[in-house]
Amino acid sequence: MTSFQSELGESGGIAEELAESQRAISIAEFFEKNKHMLGFDSGARGLVTAVKEAVDNALDACEESDIYPDIYVEIRDTGDYYTLVVEDNGPGITRGQIPKVFGKLLYGSRFHKREMARGQQGIGISAAVLYSQLTSGKPARVTSRTNGSQTANYYELVVDTDENEPEIKREAELSPGESDLAGQHGTRIEMEMEANMRARSQLHDYIEGTAVVNPHARIELVEPGLDEPLKYERVEEASLPAETSEIRPHPHGVELGTVRKMLEATASHSVSGFLQEEFTRVGRKTADTVIDAFRDRRYGRELAYRPPLKTEVADLEPAVRAAVSNKRREATAAFARDVAERVDDRERVVHHQLRETVAAAADEVEGDFDTRFGDTVREKATAAAWHTLVGGEGRRSDSRAKSNDDDAEDRRVAEFYRLVDAATTDRKADATVERLAERLATRVAGQDDDRDRVTRTDLREYVDWAADGVEDGADVAVGDTARENVVETVWTVARAVPDDPPKVRHLADDRDAVSDLVDAMRATDIIAPPTDCLAPIGADDIEAGLRKGYDADFYAAASRDAEVSGGDPFVVEAGIAYGGEIEDGSADVLRFANRVPLVYQRGACAVTDVLKSIGWRNYKLDQPGGSGVPNGPAVVMVHVASTNVPFTSESKDAVANVPEIESEIELAVREAARELKSFLKQRQSMQKRQRKQDVLTEILPEMADKVAEVTGRDRPAVEDAMARIMGNVLVDRSVDAGDEVDRVEIAVENHSETAESLEVTDIVDAEPRELNGATAVAMDDEHFVRWDVEVGAGETARLSYELPTGADGELTVDSVEPAKLTVGGDRGDR
Amino acid sequence: MSTDTPADADSDPKDGIAREKLIELAEEFHEQIEDGDVPRMTLPTRTKSNIEYDEDDDVWVYGDRTSTRSAKSVRGARKLLKAIYTLEFLVRQLEEGRSSTLRELYYLSESWDNEEAQFNDQDDSNQLVEDLEIVSDVRREDFHMRPEESGATVMGPLRIREQTRRGEREIHCQADVGEGGYQIPNDPDTIDFLECDAEFVLAVETGGMRDRLVENGFDEAYDALIVHLKGQPARATRRLTKRLHDELDLPVTVFTDADPWSYRIYGSVAYGSIKSAHLSQYLATPEAEYVGIRPRDIVEYDLPTDPLSDSDVNALESELEDPRFDTEFWREQIELQLEIEKKAEQQSLASRGLDFVTDTYLPDRLSEMGLL
Repeated sequence: MTSFQSELGESGGIAEELAESQRAISIAEFFEKNKHMLGFDSGARGLVTAVKEAVDNALDACEESDIYPDIYVEIRDTGDYYTLVVEDNGPGITRGQIPKVFGKLLYGSRFHKREMARGQQGIGISAAVLYSQLTSGKPARVTSRTNGSQTANYYELVVDTDENEPEIKREAELSPGESDLAGQHGTRIEMEMEANMRARSQLHDYIEGTAVVNPHARIELVEPGLDEPLKYERVEEASLPAETSEIRPHPHGVELGTVRKMLEATASHSVSGFLQEEFTRVGRKTADTVIDAFRDRRYGRELAYRPPLKTEVADLEPAVRAAVSNKRREATAAFARDVAERVDDRERVVHHQLRETVAAAADEVEGDFDTRFGDTVREKATAAAWHTLVGGEGRRSDSRAKSNDDDAEDRRVAEFYRLVDAATTDRKADATVERLAERLATRVAGQDDDRDRVTRTDLREYVDWAADGVEDGADVAVGDTARENVVETVWTVARAVPDDPPKVRHLADDRDAVSDLVDAMRATDIIAPPTDCLAPIGADDIEAGLRKGYDADFYAAASRDAEVSGGDPFVVEAGIAYGGEIEDGSADVLRFANRVPLVYQRGACAVTDVLKSIGWRNYKLDQPGGSGVPNGPAVVMVHVASTNVPFTSESKDAVANVPEIESEIELAVREAARELKSFLKQRQSMQKRQRKQDVLTEILPEMADKVAEVTGRDRPAVEDAMARIMGNVLVDRSVDAGDEVDRVEIAVENHSETAESLEVTDIVDAEPRELNGATAVAMDDEHFVRWDVEVGAGETARLSYELPTGADGELTVDSVEPAKLTVGGDRGDR
Repeated sequence: MSTDTPADADSDPKDGIAREKLIELAEEFHEQIEDGDVPRMTLPTRTKSNIEYDEDDDVWVYGDRTSTRSAKSVRGARKLLKAIYTLEFLVRQLEEGRSSTLRELYYLSESWDNEEAQFNDQDDSNQLVEDLEIVSDVRREDFHMRPEESGATVMGPLRIREQTRRGEREIHCQADVGEGGYQIPNDPDTIDFLECDAEFVLAVETGGMRDRLVENGFDEAYDALIVHLKGQPARATRRLTKRLHDELDLPVTVFTDADPWSYRIYGSVAYGSIKSAHLSQYLATPEAEYVGIRPRDIVEYDLPTDPLSDSDVNALESELEDPRFDTEFWREQIELQLEIEKKAEQQSLASRGLDFVTDTYLPDRLSEMGLL
């Protein structure tokens, strides 16, 4: 800058000089220079981002057309470059759209929609095309065939960065035989780019994550490092994501500029209509509440005064009488009396109420006396009555004693005195209260508008001014709480004005008024936006997805109800898989936003932050130091679905730290973690039990052997004692052999402290008889004799049937934890 | 093995009885298992709170409270398995007419095929033998189990005949022995008393004091039978002491340090120990009297002292609640000691000269007690 400064004195030509080099740049050109903002900062990462953008687009396209996605991703090492192929079975793209979808940045169908979707801005796939042309110099090759079409459209295209327009290098219509597309419909894109496979693990994470979170999709990945394709099959019962519907904006989530644009565009004339038509969750009642709040902000409220008491000097009747001229004396008197009485019926009266009162009295008297009380008379009467109600305009009464015998007392001061006195603590000196009241009255009386209208902001300013003045003159303090209390008290007795809000066409041009309207919308309680704009995965499908991705011992999932942040509804879901084939060590964290896996910037993500802050030890997971990602063979996944997921950057790698979202993430994860805890607890106690059983299974027979040896008796059977010790269910089969039939008895002894339901099946090689409630099914040469029994704690059930002599049987017992079961040997005395 | 034809159990009828009792116990386990019951063994609770005064015998015995070792827990099951293994071992030992030491049993368990049955440490096996003693009502000695060594000795004008494995031996406990004295055998019931010129028994806690008394010729000068307790006395020492009292009508006195642990030594000589309360009638000498050193002596003779440690204070306080020390004498002495917060060793009497104990302290104390 020093060189410019030296020239400053000489000429004014610098600005012109600078202006010459200033020109508009296209968005494409901008991103060409700022690839990192979109996630294309290196060859390794660029490849992952390109896969991600293409796959996200493919999934979105399929789901929009209710097609179960079938996605094929291939990465080929072609020597100098890598070739990326992504093919889907989506609806295809019409011929005219193809160049724009892939060759123009910010072209998309969703940017203006409030609806959950993977892609939003329409940047991703064209940025990938841009990246590929920048690094390899080759155009992207797109083939697409729409459903029902006999041919596929083929394009080779690049992005013209100067204009941000697609540039078509080649265009053809291909017959199914010529095209590479596998299915009847779908889209295939091939891009060559400078890349490497250093980010292989992120790529796999992305594909695996996508599979987990899209159980309804079938995904296949082929890349040079894989011996055979990595395939994730569709989970059969998984459903397509619920169709989302676009929602109108929620009043809590719009900015001033947006509202002005909406006002310009709307067909509504009234503000009420505008609110109801253009926003979600606004009906007539809510619109009225918003408009009331708008009035308060725009026009203020009217201050209320009490009607004069009989003892007061102020008297409405003579004042009104004096204001009416040229009318019959009786009519005037009746009118004045009527006004005074009507006012007297009210507890407090504000200006517009007084005007209405006067009007009502005038109508009455016109009817009774057949005279006309026109607008002028009414105006004068209203003014006179108001003057009396508020007492002398700007008059200062020096002492209350004096005002008693003098003319009309300043009733504003008296009113404020009452209100300030009620609002402040008893300890405030009477003089302080009086001074505050006087100063407030002075400011109100000094307003241009003599209807005593104030906004809350004005009121606060008056109170501050009055309080500062009082503090200044004397050694007293009027604190912030006291001031706010005064404002609140005065505001509460003040009344909303009846003025109609301006028409929409006037409002749009009035920046201040729109600002008041936005404030009013935010200040109004409005129910959360509807959630049909979101398609959460749902707890069942999350679990199914985890099962698809991981061979674990335990799965849990939680799906929260929708919440709102900044006017956008969002849903947080969480899932946990534990044990089995999952590797031990630091738990894996899978992050998803609108069903898209986030694989970069883990450390910058709100999801990671929340997971680290949870005390995992409470959930029986190891957490060194009591904070951070827990240890153990676990996978924790979190899905944030929103019409507008707040990302930390355009590359959409990390969810921003928005408190509402963080809190929901925590609740969702804790919900799933609670299930994990009870599983681990149960498992621990089962393990303990199993260990005990293992030890006793060794010890008891040894004891039996030894006592048999020492006593010289037969070895006693240990199963009964074992079952009793373990509190187990003992199932014992015995056969009472007869000449023609064997009688089989199965004793089910429940030594535990709870009732147990069991499925007892005896598989025998001859036809059973006398079943006594059992069901028998023959299969091949075997007969399955089955009972469903429930045995109370400490009780024994005896099941029996008959078999031809000498038949063999084998007992199996299901639906009881193996650790809680002891199956006795066949102790038949055959 | 069978129950009917024990080959050589007839050699000693006592062995036969012991064996029968052990087999009965095994039969009990057998029945429990066969009935589908949890195998278990019930024993008196062996804690201080379950010690009661037996008015007939003037000793302290186990009360009515019992604890059950049962296979319901892994710990209990392991204990029972060990008990059964030990039981089998004892039965065989009795059949073969052999004996072994407690320590040998501990090492022997290492050779058992089942690791669960092996003992973790010597306390484990000692306790088990005691358990079996209690449930079978047979003394350890009758199982042919010996402690490793007692080493306790007697010195004084007493002639005995000992039934040794190598034949009978007649020994005079003053004339026929060296300065070390006559070593008490593991089973003192193998001793016959032949001739006694002693007037009383003086049981001494520490080896240093016992040697001082012998060197100064206290046993000769006062016709005392000096029994060395060697700290907490072994069963054999206590049994012999009891026999000296019961059979030879000798008064028994106990001479220890003035600290809570030493009072317990006196307590176990006089009333029995918590661990072997089931044998109190057989081991304890309720008439035994405490010579000293009393806390009062610390004050009276202004003996060199050590301060009481926290554990000493705790031990004294727990003795105040110990039924064995619930007498006026002990309450007074323990309270005094807690007040002065000091303890003293027997050897502290040497601060007044090496002969003070034999010339002054003991003659004075014994006269006071009416024994001289």
